[in-house]
Amino acid sequence: MRRCLSTILICAAFLPAVASADPLKVVAAYPYIGDLVERIGGSNVRVLSLARGDYNPHVIIPRPSFIAHVRRADLLIISGAQLEIGWMPPLLRQANNPAVQTGEPGFLDLSQYVTLSDVPTSVSRELGDVHPEGNPHFYLDPENILLLARAIKDKLVQLDSRNASYYEDRYREFSELWGKKLVEWTQKMTPLRNTRVVEYHKVFDYFVHRYKLQIAATVEPLPGIPPTSKHIEQLEAVLTTAPARFLLQDVYNPEDASRHLAEKLNMKLVVLPHDVGSVKEATSIFSLFDELVRRISE
Amino acid sequence: MQRHIVLWSLFLLFVIPVWSQDTSTPAQGSPFSQAKFVPDISLILDGSYLHRNISDEQNAALLLPGFVESGEHSPPLEGFNLNYAEITFYSIVDPYFELFAVCHLSPEHFHLEEAYWITKKLPAGFQLKAGKFLSSFGRINELHTHYWDFADRPLVHQAMFGHEGLNEIGARITWVAPTEIYLLLGGEMLMGEGEASFGRTGFLLPRENIRVSSVKGPGLFVGYIESSVDIGDASVLLRLSGAQGKTRSDDYFSSGVPGGQALSGSTTVLGGALTVKHTLDAVRYISLQSEYLWRHADGTLYSLDLLQQVHESAQEKRQSGFYAQAVAKFALRMRAGLRVDLLQGNEMLENGQRSDLPTSLPRYSTMLEFNPTEFSRIRLQYNYDLSRYTESNRRLDRITVHELSLQVNLAIGAHGAHSF
Repeated sequence: MRRCLSTILICAAFLPAVASADPLKVVAAYPYIGDLVERIGGSNVRVLSLARGDYNPHVIIPRPSFIAHVRRADLLIISGAQLEIGWMPPLLRQANNPAVQTGEPGFLDLSQYVTLSDVPTSVSRELGDVHPEGNPHFYLDPENILLLARAIKDKLVQLDSRNASYYEDRYREFSELWGKKLVEWTQKMTPLRNTRVVEYHKVFDYFVHRYKLQIAATVEPLPGIPPTSKHIEQLEAVLTTAPARFLLQDVYNPEDASRHLAEKLNMKLVVLPHDVGSVKEATSIFSLFDELVRRISE
Repeated sequence: MQRHIVLWSLFLLFVIPVWSQDTSTPAQGSPFSQAKFVPDISLILDGSYLHRNISDEQNAALLLPGFVESGEHSPPLEGFNLNYAEITFYSIVDPYFELFAVCHLSPEHFHLEEAYWITKKLPAGFQLKAGKFLSSFGRINELHTHYWDFADRPLVHQAMFGHEGLNEIGARITWVAPTEIYLLLGGEMLMGEGEASFGRTGFLLPRENIRVSSVKGPGLFVGYIESSVDIGDASVLLRLSGAQGKTRSDDYFSSGVPGGQALSGSTTVLGGALTVKHTLDAVRYISLQSEYLWRHADGTLYSLDLLQQVHESAQEKRQSGFYAQAVAKFALRMRAGLRVDLLQGNEMLENGQRSDLPTSLPRYSTMLEFNPTEFSRIRLQYNYDLSRYTESNRRLDRITVHELSLQVNLAIGAHGAHSF
């Protein structure tokens, strides 16, 4: 019985002789990464995004089916800065795939290629869900997307050097197109410069700072802690003396407190997408930012 | 005079280095400091306030007939309980290994709950694990207590694997198939000390010429297969497990106490575990979980009567049980749940003679949780327990137990994320 089991295990291990001409199998933690990889990798990659775009990126449930995807991946790309700390480590441990372990060429942490803001000088859980490495929502700065696209391109070139020129061409194409869009978004956002906004959670910091809007307050008293009535009262007092124009709400946190505040203080409640797939209009990395700009500037 | 010289030289010995340090370059961190290599360390503290309809003494003497024949060891008491403090260590060892350790502390005891390594780099989807660890049999056994949905272990696990669960020294190999659908095979070779179904240590009663040798290790083998599919927003996880091992137990038999019993035999446990987690939106989910366990044990029972005469009999047990639970996360920080436990098919034969045991032992539980953050949990749980019996003059009487507990579980430090 025992010998039989081990024989089966050993035989089964050598069954999947991987054909080398297959497209590179890439697993992305979030849909925005998946879309970027598709744009650079084209037909030479097969991409799968794990998390749903409309869920809270901090609290993704590590579905067992994800293990099967990570098991077969040639490349695993995470957003990083501890955004996946609550769900990726067990997947990596259970997938038994040496190629995509941290530190291996098949593992890419995008946060390493950008400068993070709000890096705390000291951390304590008294301060809520703080990220010691800084605010992890860096991918909502459209300028950062170019850095991320380049990091992905370099990684694809490293793993699949035969198709290097293919990836270089597609990256060049993408960055030209992105450059044009950056100009368009800047034009649309310029009139909003110095506008004061309130955020529910610090998701949109990078986006808001890029276009020089000012963040007056957050509805959450501390990151990850839902608002109390006392905090709402304090916010009302602060925002009555120094009003803000917009209240920026994400799609996954409860809206009640924000709606109440917006109505009472005459702010416009704007529900913004934070990832590809978070709202139906945001189907790609381009339409994600188109939609961010449209919703806030219209 | 000589004394003075000694004192002065001692003084200089201490002062000169201190004084000379002042003139040296400004102090830097030690060039050999390893502070940055401190592993992830966390402490989990679990305490509860408990109320029961019967006294602690009565409760401690209760039995699960056919399963747990002597009173439970140290069940939670009425009033305040410090259930445990757990210190966990985790770190990557080098590019090839990761190491975990969990130390379980109670006011009187320190014990190594788990300490094991796993490999990171084996090819072809394999992973090795070795050390002392919770067996992957079934669903709940390998999960740490603080990750459970209820405060206590399901009845069927308590009955078949004891209060510590199936926690053994041994090795495990797993293999994840390179398939579209998740498929995992695992095998464990364990020493088989497990208290409720297994056991290794033999026993002697020389005056009656009874010598039952200890089991040569490893004495317990576990195999399991796991698969999962996603149906829309629902993840369905199924695990089938089997455990086969030798059984040895010695309940005051070898010390010759009248009424003492010992058992030598072998036990097979089979189990099926099904978990379905359905997310309703970014915040809410419903999770259904059930495990069914079936046990077959047979062996030779040695017992001493009041006149210290040895009786030998063939004992055979066929028992099963299950639990089914539903837990809903209905708000950002709130969860509620229901659980049904049932031990059934309680069949015990002694020399082919069927013992008269209650065949259905149920327990019903409900809980409500408030989780201020992912690091703190406050849980109110009510158990309505119809599975407990007392024995007097060889007659079994059912005692209904109502139990209400308020539990607080807190975690500090660097604690790793949990799997599904």
